[in-house]
Amino acid sequence: MIGRVPNWIVWVVGIIACIWVIPIIGIVVTSVRPPADVTLGWWRLDNIRFTLDAWMRVWDEYPLANAFWTTLWITLIGTGATMLLTPAAAYAFHFLKFPFRRTILVIIINAFVLPVQVVVIPLFQLWRDTGLIDNILAVLIPYVGLSFAWSIFLVKNFMEDFPKELIEAGKIDGCGPLATFWFVVLPNSLSAIFAVGILQFLWCWNSLLLPMLYLRTTIPLPVLLTRVSGTYDLNWDLRSVAAIVTTIVPLFVFLIFQRQFAAGSQTRTGAKE
Amino acid sequence: MATVTLNNVSKSYGTLEVIDNLNLQVEDGTFTVFVGPSGCGKSTLLRMIAGLEPITKGDLVIDGRRVNEADPIERGVAMVFQNYALYPHMTVEQNIGFSLRMAGLEKSDIDARVAIAAQTLQIEPLLKRKPAQLSGGQRQRVAIGRAIVRDPEVFLFDEPLSNLDAELRVSMRVEIAKLHNKLGSTMIYVTHDQTEAMTLADKIVVMRDGKIEQSGSPDDLYDNPDNLFVAGFIGSPRMNFLRADLTATGPRLVAGPTLSMAGLPSQGEVLVGVRPEHFLLGGGDASVAVKVDVVENLGGTRYLYGATISGENVVVEVRDRPGIKAGDTVHVGIDPVRSMIFRATGERLRQGH
Repeated sequence: MIGRVPNWIVWVVGIIACIWVIPIIGIVVTSVRPPADVTLGWWRLDNIRFTLDAWMRVWDEYPLANAFWTTLWITLIGTGATMLLTPAAAYAFHFLKFPFRRTILVIIINAFVLPVQVVVIPLFQLWRDTGLIDNILAVLIPYVGLSFAWSIFLVKNFMEDFPKELIEAGKIDGCGPLATFWFVVLPNSLSAIFAVGILQFLWCWNSLLLPMLYLRTTIPLPVLLTRVSGTYDLNWDLRSVAAIVTTIVPLFVFLIFQRQFAAGSQTRTGAKE
Repeated sequence: MATVTLNNVSKSYGTLEVIDNLNLQVEDGTFTVFVGPSGCGKSTLLRMIAGLEPITKGDLVIDGRRVNEADPIERGVAMVFQNYALYPHMTVEQNIGFSLRMAGLEKSDIDARVAIAAQTLQIEPLLKRKPAQLSGGQRQRVAIGRAIVRDPEVFLFDEPLSNLDAELRVSMRVEIAKLHNKLGSTMIYVTHDQTEAMTLADKIVVMRDGKIEQSGSPDDLYDNPDNLFVAGFIGSPRMNFLRADLTATGPRLVAGPTLSMAGLPSQGEVLVGVRPEHFLLGGGDASVAVKVDVVENLGGTRYLYGATISGENVVVEVRDRPGIKAGDTVHVGIDPVRSMIFRATGERLRQGH
């Protein structure tokens, strides 16, 4: 039948998916078995016992709940700021005329080639001098700033297809640049903005380097995860729990928003295509 | 309602001159149509009036006020776009009321005015729908609704019917004409379709290469074109042009006969323009043999497509049913009174000048 996927593709994809899931199963199993039983591998079946001991202990021994809230807070602010500022910047670069537009855009997009590691030390000096060490701004500013390179690029590319007539109709209807952005461009760029939002969410949530260097007391989950695994004892069970807690939110975000993620451009002017 | 005056208006992109020193007066309450081939600058001119394109030189005066630098909203213009440009995320109601919302009107006022506009255009049942759920004709009505709800001084239409199918185009054309009669507003309409121009306009402005070739009432332009371009552009099927040489008694057609016309220069190559309906089938003093290639039967009228012995393509309109078939040779008479003489450079030669 035309358009029907051949069976072997389904099988190959299925097998690859299973292989991908194995580590997750491993983590979950490790978290609920006593460490002594899994030293030779979580798949060993010679001594099957289950315990929630690790799940209880990790909350007591490490500030997991605090770290969870810190991560959530930082990620939400970082993502929200990017989702609002990126389309505004892309709109300005694409539809408005101002001096040095091209140059500024090239500079911003060029930040793409700059790895985070390169800016770590200068930023550290800057935060130290401005007293922002251990302030969440120390990570939020680079989170949002560094995201502009790829996010503006992505949203601006999306706007290449944005119908110019809608902007003009907005102008005729009495919108200034800000009103046009808010009432016309933003509601019709949601798919691109959500794509940026999801990527930024995952990036913020999983970010390790910057918070490890700039934060001391309020630390997010990935940093805590390194502390959990940084001790000398065999605590694979605790690490597993911390890893599950760390990954569970991005997993749900992806499951919930995957539709938005895949959605194409919804922008139609109303003309027959 | 307002007059729109363009004084020495020019538009250039860098060194490229798109509109060249153009003067035009659009009278209050008239329906003016800009017509011309694509790239002639008619849409640019409309967009300059709308405030979407800056004016390089000259003055745009609406209702006695120079508005070169004014925003569209301050100019009091409303525009209907070729592809409608409805906001996809808003319902029809929100689309129509958007400009009022931007103007800061109360919700109740907006609703009332949207209702009146919807009633005028008979789109009340569609108010809660999104543009994606509408047909092309309905979308066009909504786009017009968005313009009329503001009660603008000047309506601007940028090829509004181009995206509709032929039948809908005819009925929307009639509706736009009715709307103009009802509102009595100044309307400026851009099209490349001379039929739309002829049927809608109080005044047609024929443009080419950023210049006005001629402007006037549809009948003026049809009966009395100033040049070859306007003669060829206005009228469908277009005017026939037969090559001729001027003699002392009148132009002698390459295809044979001489038309007796006085008051013309006595030498030079010219084109004799004859509209398809002005040929006299099988008669007249000066008659030309036309070999018919195709007969197009429209029911009431027929068009004979053929060529003269000197190779010029000719279209002849026939009213009755003379039983002419493809392959026949017919003799058509040319009435000197209804013929127009043009120089090869395009300018018209009038008798007595």
